[in-house]
Amino acid sequence: MLLTFKRTLKEALRNFFRNGLMSFAALGIMTFSLYLIGMLVFLSLAGNLIFKNLEEKANISVYFKPDVEEEAILKVQKEIEENNQVLSAIYISKEQALADFRADNADEPIILESLEEIGENPLLASLTIQAKDPNQFPAIYETINQSAWSENLSRINYEKNKDLIDKIVSSVKTAKKTGFILGAIFCFISILIIFNAVRLTIYNQKQEIEIMRLVGASNVYIRLPYLFEGVFYALGGAIAALLLIILTVKIADPYFSDKILGQGLNNFFWQNLLNIFYFQLLLGIILGILSSLIAIRKYLKI
Amino acid sequence: MIKFDKVTKIYKGDFKALEDINLEILPGEFVSIVGKSGAGKSTFLKLIYAEEMPTSGQVFFDEKPIDGIKKRLIHEHRKKIGTVFQDFKLLPQKTAFENVAYALEVSGAPNEEILEDVPQILDIVGLGNKMEKFPRQLSGGEQQRVAFARALIHKPKIIIADEPTGNLDPISSWEIVQLMMKINEIGTTIILASHNKNAIDKINKRVIVVENGKIIGDYSTGKYKLD
Repeated sequence: MLLTFKRTLKEALRNFFRNGLMSFAALGIMTFSLYLIGMLVFLSLAGNLIFKNLEEKANISVYFKPDVEEEAILKVQKEIEENNQVLSAIYISKEQALADFRADNADEPIILESLEEIGENPLLASLTIQAKDPNQFPAIYETINQSAWSENLSRINYEKNKDLIDKIVSSVKTAKKTGFILGAIFCFISILIIFNAVRLTIYNQKQEIEIMRLVGASNVYIRLPYLFEGVFYALGGAIAALLLIILTVKIADPYFSDKILGQGLNNFFWQNLLNIFYFQLLLGIILGILSSLIAIRKYLKI
Repeated sequence: MIKFDKVTKIYKGDFKALEDINLEILPGEFVSIVGKSGAGKSTFLKLIYAEEMPTSGQVFFDEKPIDGIKKRLIHEHRKKIGTVFQDFKLLPQKTAFENVAYALEVSGAPNEEILEDVPQILDIVGLGNKMEKFPRQLSGGEQQRVAFARALIHKPKIIIADEPTGNLDPISSWEIVQLMMKINEIGTTIILASHNKNAIDKINKRVIVVENGKIIGDYSTGKYKLD
């Protein structure tokens, strides 16, 4: 069995190099398909992470009118925290808000100067509310709006975040859908071209196949080289595609703010490198073997 | 060794290649099949090495019906039969040695066996000194000897030769005939399909005459009885 494996593998390698141009075309299209699909997988991983980060950041901030006493706010905080849809409600006092504001704008002397000119603290005390599930924000929002203390409120900023979250969800969805369709099209083209490459090899070797049969080669022995050929396209394509993706990510990295992912794009990519590669390899081998099998069934009469 | 029992072969398009063939070939026989082109000689041979299956009737090899062999085991059947053709069917990019070795490689023989058996068999067919030559560097007769060496490498019980002298000059043809007689002498059954009147007359063994898919003569020590 090992001997058959060795000999057929050798045979397949020879076929692969002998059909130079066709092998190159098949390898190229396989690389391109796997590149596209690998990028898609990577982007959807990144998209999921971005989405998760945003979800964690999503909150409702409730600002109180300046004349509301701290004691009253703390009471409201307690009430909100008792709501079982709410994960947390954090109280930020006027002083805290001012300190945060100063820290955030430490590099902007003009803003800080104008703050000095105002003289008193213009910021409002607030509660930052996080939901257990972002889908529950509308319900929480309603509860707050209809509460007895809603007249103490200066404003609730909810709509702003909601738009952003919705936008991200929908663009991730669109990207996935487009990518999936494109990926499917290229998979199909890959199958066609590899199928054609294997068909050509079979056609070129009509005589050899005939002789193999006459001298008593088993069917497995005759078929294996063509299956291996398909696997070569997969292996070569997966490796080349991965190199291309590494390059793409390296080029894209500087244009990508670390804040969105919570880390560098390149960094995130290397964490997921193996998963992406395994996925490409698996898909490539499935495509390669599938197209070889179709060609063998259709053209290799034993 | 080989028995045809009411064998009829009809190809697609209703072409009747063989009709109601009944025949027995015993171990060690040298049987020549003669007949015009298209008479059914090649089909007759193809039924033996399982390239074709009969439309009706049965072909037996060593008492076992060939159509009963499972598809994935047909290669085992073919190993028992050596085949030689008019156009040699050698692989052009392989040397004489490699062409013969190929038959052992594809059936999974270990390398030691290949290195031992191939030179031996090439010696027997008289090409011991031309093992490293490519087919294009060999004469037609020599190429056919390589083909015989390849057919013999599995030590088959039977050799099927379809017009082996068809492409050869008279002298080479005669050498091939002598080679076949030598192979037959060591006990291998030979079935030869041929047009070569001279050769068949010299062999002077059993002759079966086929015409329009039917056996019209079977002579135990025959001369070429067509024309």
